[in-house]
Amino acid sequence: MENLVNALVSGLISGSLYATMALGLTIIYGVSRVFNFGHGVIAVIGAYITWYLLSVFGVPFLPATLLSLAFMASFGWLVYRFTMSPLLKKPNWEFSTVLFMLGAGILLENVVLQVFGPRVKSIPVLVDGALKVGFIQINWHEVALMGIVLVVIAALSLFFKYTRTGQAMRAVAQSIPGAQVVGINIEQIFGLTFALAFTVTGFSGILLGTKYYLNPHVGWEWMVKGFVIVTFGGLGSTSGAVVAALVLGLVEAVATLYFGAIWVWPIWFVLFLIVLLLRPQGILGGRT
Amino acid sequence: MKHVNWKFALAVLVLVFILLYPWLGASSYTKHLFILFFIWSIVAANWNLMMGYAGINSLGNIGFMAIGGYTAGILAKSLGVPPFLTIPIAGIVTSAVVTLALGLPALRLSGIYIALLTLIFADTLPSLLTQTREITGGAMGLHEIPPFYPGMDKTGAYYICFVFFLVVLFIIYRIVHSPTGMAFVALRDSENFAYCLGVNKFRERLKVFALSSLLTGAAGGMYVHALGDISPTTLGIEPFLLTIAMIELGGVGTFLGPILGAAVIVFGNEFLRLAGTLRLTLLGALICTIILFYPGGVIQLFHTIEHRVERLLNRKTPTT
Amino acid sequence: MLTVRELDCFYSDLQVLRGVSLDVGEGEVVALFGPNGHGKSTLLKAICGLQPPKRGSIRFKGEEIAGLPAHQIVERGLAYIPEERHLFSDMTVLENLYLGAYPRHARPVLKKNLEFVFHIFPRLAERRHQLCSTLSGGEARMVAIGRGLMSETSLLMVDEPSIGLSPGMKMAVFDAIRQIHCERGMTILIVEQEIQHALEMSDRIYLIKKGQIAFERRREEVQVDEIERAYF
Repeated sequence: MENLVNALVSGLISGSLYATMALGLTIIYGVSRVFNFGHGVIAVIGAYITWYLLSVFGVPFLPATLLSLAFMASFGWLVYRFTMSPLLKKPNWEFSTVLFMLGAGILLENVVLQVFGPRVKSIPVLVDGALKVGFIQINWHEVALMGIVLVVIAALSLFFKYTRTGQAMRAVAQSIPGAQVVGINIEQIFGLTFALAFTVTGFSGILLGTKYYLNPHVGWEWMVKGFVIVTFGGLGSTSGAVVAALVLGLVEAVATLYFGAIWVWPIWFVLFLIVLLLRPQGILGGRT
Repeated sequence: MKHVNWKFALAVLVLVFILLYPWLGASSYTKHLFILFFIWSIVAANWNLMMGYAGINSLGNIGFMAIGGYTAGILAKSLGVPPFLTIPIAGIVTSAVVTLALGLPALRLSGIYIALLTLIFADTLPSLLTQTREITGGAMGLHEIPPFYPGMDKTGAYYICFVFFLVVLFIIYRIVHSPTGMAFVALRDSENFAYCLGVNKFRERLKVFALSSLLTGAAGGMYVHALGDISPTTLGIEPFLLTIAMIELGGVGTFLGPILGAAVIVFGNEFLRLAGTLRLTLLGALICTIILFYPGGVIQLFHTIEHRVERLLNRKTPTT
Repeated sequence: MLTVRELDCFYSDLQVLRGVSLDVGEGEVVALFGPNGHGKSTLLKAICGLQPPKRGSIRFKGEEIAGLPAHQIVERGLAYIPEERHLFSDMTVLENLYLGAYPRHARPVLKKNLEFVFHIFPRLAERRHQLCSTLSGGEARMVAIGRGLMSETSLLMVDEPSIGLSPGMKMAVFDAIRQIHCERGMTILIVEQEIQHALEMSDRIYLIKKGQIAFERRREEVQVDEIERAYF
């Protein structure tokens, strides 16, 4: 019982981190229908920049994060402007963007490897100490992480609901010709969407880097988890991604407890298959 | 008609050269490279059949090859089954497993789901291999898998793989020019029109999926008997990228493209080794550059040159 | 207000418009007739930037707009109501109308335009919080027209507004368009298959056939059967 409760708590924590990982993926897909197969390394880059500023220049955590996010936003915009934008204008863009981002992912992963070396890094925790409630024990750091994730999710949903740019992004996601007819600049919104998604993804990399280890290759593992989550929650649905991330985080924690960590992957795969067969639009997704 | 003939002549010339090559002072190393070329061009050609013709956006074909390789390796090593049986069995097992577990669920869905599902499938295989260490050798892999025949040398393996290469390419050529192949070209060019002709997309794609995974699995079988070992590194990112690069470099959706691409990559990869740790960086950059700036690949380059030459010739001969 | 000259338009290799010229004067209602698939919708799409023309000139308020991206044309005060509606189906009626006021120049007058839309289509006021995916065909058509009005437009191009609607709903939509013209003095370019109704409200008509303008007439000079005959 004690073990189970502790597993569930840690499942919730990793689930909320996976949610931020999945958000960037689902935002890009929802608006532009590009499936970013270079997603993982984007998160890794965000984390590495923060790590570098923290440990080499001694910049405090908050400005280091902000600087890194500013870099991610401009990087996202550049990637859209100079690679995705021309590819989207060609036939067969759906798969050529997939292959391109895969190639770019490998390229960037190895650039990170060349620049920072293969050694494992980690971003220091935000707060020390642990919270004890009965037999449940949670690190304050993890409490802080969950708090941050909640703030990020709330901020994003407010952004999509109430700002002009956020509404335009939702409009483009639902109908591109409709958006053109009301005078939305599609190129600009796509560019901003990539900037936003890269920022969120970079931020999720930073959060994951404080909880888990960091090396140039770990992004692939994060990304594939993100893939399963967004499919589970329905491609392009942000609320679906959050729910799916929590569910899968819990499943992962329970499976690790009872069967061992080695079975986590096959279980994710089987769950993924079941969802695809029964409800390809995802658990919360409205359309396929 | 003239240009068809010179192309045909060139192809025959190349084939004759490959046939005579072991007697033209080939070293054991270059024969080894040719064997790799035969096998990888089959993997690439089958992948291209899915991706370039049938529009099945699979990312798991290296996994198919590994399933075939492990099946043949285990059968030959642990049970002593002779190679002329292990290779077809490897193909059939791969096709059955992959078509049931991936093809049936994935092909009803749209493009991106296929890419996701196949990638995650291939990603699950290494952890399965570690789970079944007693049979598959885990991270160490399988070694000293029996060759095609006892006492086989490189020349023997060379010719067996060459014959296999010819047979598979002939099959693919026939498919591309068969009603099924035509149906795919129709689907690619106009989905609605193809529906009007009564093309059942799901069934046609499933057929290609089954056949293509069969041939890829058999190529895996050829691989282990020709080279003697297989390990989870086959499922790593590098072979995956190399094969994608072969298809993209050669020209997606063309018959000769992946074969040309395989030749360039297999022989070029040896030069790439000089780049050491930068190898994967260069490979990633190569794929990005081709997709962004030269989506037609080498084949398109040939067509452009041919066009120019023809125009030049036409200009010289006055029109009557 | 709108001057189109020698417009050529292609769908890949297929030429859809051949040297089309057309004028719409300030405050006019102009109807565009012609058989299906002969280039009426393509002409509207070319004007509003969704289907850029290959050759020719489109001048709007004296400014060349041919080949500009769609959003820049909307910003100049030209609204297009597509036949397919293209609503944002997972948003409410109100959210769709707000998005209609996306161009900067439409923001300050958002309230006034919203009141006008609800005045013309009282039904939309009742359903303002309903998701667009749950609307009937006629209501969705009203949202599409309303969304176009929200952009503070000076020329409204309406593509087959009555298509697929019940007879009663058709009348309601035609009445609304007439009302928009009378109360706002809106310049309107309309494509319609219901020749009788469209003819009644327009000042001039064009007939487009095989991608070319077959004839142009003032309303007084033309009969319904002359237009119908021209279809065959």
